[in-house]
Amino acid sequence: MNTTMPVLTGIGSVTPYGPLAGLISAEPLEPSVITAWDTPGLRRAFLVEPFRPASIVPGLKTRRLDRLSAWALVASSLALRDAGIDLGRMDRSRIAVFFATGFGCIELTEAFYQSAATNGWAGTDPITFPETLSNAPASHVALFHDLRGPNVTVSSKSFAAESALLQAASLLRHGQADMAIVLAGDTLTQAIYEWYEAAHLLSPTCFCNEPTSAAGGFIPGEGVVAMVLESAGRPAAHSYAALGAGRWATGGDAQACIRQLLGDVQPDFTICSGNGAPCASASLTDSVSDLVGESVIIPALPVATGMGEAGALLHLLLALGKRPGRGQALLLGTSAHGGYAALRLEIN
Amino acid sequence: MIDAQKTIVVTGIGVISPYGIGLAALWDGMLRGQCCLRRATELYPGFQGTVAAVSALPPPIEGHHYSRSDRLAMAAARDAVEGLSGFDLRESGIVMASTVAGLTEIDPEISKGPAAWYRHGGLSRAASYSVSRVAASVGEHLGILGPACAVSVACASGAMAIALAANMLLDGAAPMVLAGGSDALCPFTLSGFNSLQALDQEPCRPFDQNRKGLNLGEGAAVLVLETLAHAQRRSARILAVLRGWAMTNDASHPTAPQKDGIGLAACIERALEMAACSVEEVGYVNAHGTGTPLNDIAETHAYENAFHGRSRPIPVSSTKSYFGHCLGAAGALEAAITITAMQAGALFPTLRLNNPIESSKIDWLRGELRREPLFATMSVSAGFGGSNAALVFGSHRL
Repeated sequence: MNTTMPVLTGIGSVTPYGPLAGLISAEPLEPSVITAWDTPGLRRAFLVEPFRPASIVPGLKTRRLDRLSAWALVASSLALRDAGIDLGRMDRSRIAVFFATGFGCIELTEAFYQSAATNGWAGTDPITFPETLSNAPASHVALFHDLRGPNVTVSSKSFAAESALLQAASLLRHGQADMAIVLAGDTLTQAIYEWYEAAHLLSPTCFCNEPTSAAGGFIPGEGVVAMVLESAGRPAAHSYAALGAGRWATGGDAQACIRQLLGDVQPDFTICSGNGAPCASASLTDSVSDLVGESVIIPALPVATGMGEAGALLHLLLALGKRPGRGQALLLGTSAHGGYAALRLEIN
Repeated sequence: MIDAQKTIVVTGIGVISPYGIGLAALWDGMLRGQCCLRRATELYPGFQGTVAAVSALPPPIEGHHYSRSDRLAMAAARDAVEGLSGFDLRESGIVMASTVAGLTEIDPEISKGPAAWYRHGGLSRAASYSVSRVAASVGEHLGILGPACAVSVACASGAMAIALAANMLLDGAAPMVLAGGSDALCPFTLSGFNSLQALDQEPCRPFDQNRKGLNLGEGAAVLVLETLAHAQRRSARILAVLRGWAMTNDASHPTAPQKDGIGLAACIERALEMAACSVEEVGYVNAHGTGTPLNDIAETHAYENAFHGRSRPIPVSSTKSYFGHCLGAAGALEAAITITAMQAGALFPTLRLNNPIESSKIDWLRGELRREPLFATMSVSAGFGGSNAALVFGSHRL
């Protein structure tokens, strides 16, 4: 293993598979029926079943928080637990939090609009307002674990999670932190779901009880995945993978960029991530098939594709959960508008 | 020995502010001591307060729906690259900060039934909701195809966008990165800050003992960042060197800053360390200086701690006293001012600073504009959630 590459040492997640530490070796999941709001007929999505955060992380108080913040707290705690990290023995001023999201704290943002609709803008709730900010989840993670390093929340059209992973690794490489908790996620609300529906982006599977098909459109999902990234060096740390170089771009020559990224390396695995655009990943892997050669393609699963811009960490987690074996891997994503993200990994 | 591949320089600045479009408009207004803060009652029924609005925003582009924050960002980015040459803009990266983003486009009516609201024109408006749209809009407007990322870390966002852009350049992710921030005035944030009782009804008085709160403003600023090597290859005019940057978190409270300013002081110290810049060398600090009772006292403690080794008090001012707090754009606008102040050797006073917080370590700039040579300056930002960012700029003397 290249010792200069940041290493992925811990994983925690709150997804439709439930709150879990470590890899998810689950089989493909079917979407569940939406009951959280009134729907005009059958509507399905990949939803996180309600659970009590304090039952997973003793002492955790989440009553006033957006679900996104609560899940970020649970997922980060599980990831640290999985990494076997004793924060009491770490320099917490050197631990960063990097959070990727498409919509941020959308639930409490909607609640704030609701209070404005009911009481007028002059009668909104002061406790809700700060929790509507996109960086609230990352801030709560810092506050709960007393992490005083860089605390950044990003959103990148189609590639929020990939860009967070790359930028967090960059912090480590440049000595701006020794460890980073990288999180990515979103919650699904009525307003978001109905926007997808009005924009005709949903898969027919959302409207019937048939098994998930590859038909056009996607099935929205929700959840948060947290990964602990460390500068190589902590003696006791186990490693899922080491992160190499990566790129993301909104357009341009994807093939040339990926060719440059790979150099002489022929990846053993190509892990497809997708951003919700139907079949986007398949089209990119087709277009770069000469670059990835005999690489084993690990396809994107709908449950991760449904998480949209923040789905890449779940794609990666599910791919690692298949325990593909040691080797070089390429995490590869694309957008419907010609964008792409590519990240080299060394799976251990 | 300077490593031109690892030295980040600023080669362009674009601004749209309550003074108008362009850095020159901002600069002229500030040199004249013009305050853009105005009483406003029309922002929503029942609102009475003081804000600084942009009146120079170009009209919307027909056939596209961009939020006001997007349009501010696009105007500033266009201004930043105007007149630059010798590079392929398509290859550039974009890191844009915003906190408001498309909130300006959403109506409380959405909460009564999203589907109906979308049917009545809300669909395209809601499409601009995500903060990522601010960066994407700039890319669409200028035909940029490189990596694009939006940063949303409350009021520290703008400075963090610049820091992250610098990291991207060090990584070789793009040959040039447009980095900045953009935020528009909107009822959502005005109502939120008002509910927190954080707004001063009158023009704000940062660092004054009688300060009562902040005023919101709007605007955008974009810096063109590249490595010195890249800038030299295209014979670019170098406005400043970004010598150091740092980000920290207080991890002490969801909204309030750490009372003793320790987290912010650590951020300043890290940025100085990265810049290899002594506390003596810094000639001016453009402070976060919101005018809220809690922020300004915490920030005062941070400067007292971080600059305690100086032989003379550190000159500090808050330019939010001119055009309010532009949230996600604030750090970028203030970086632009900090660079230009260094170029001109101009130390802007804080307006309405009559009774400064007592400190023997801080030289509160007030009254008349002061002129003196500046070789290193600092811009400091902080935000809800305990996030801090500091940028150290140096003059280009190569």
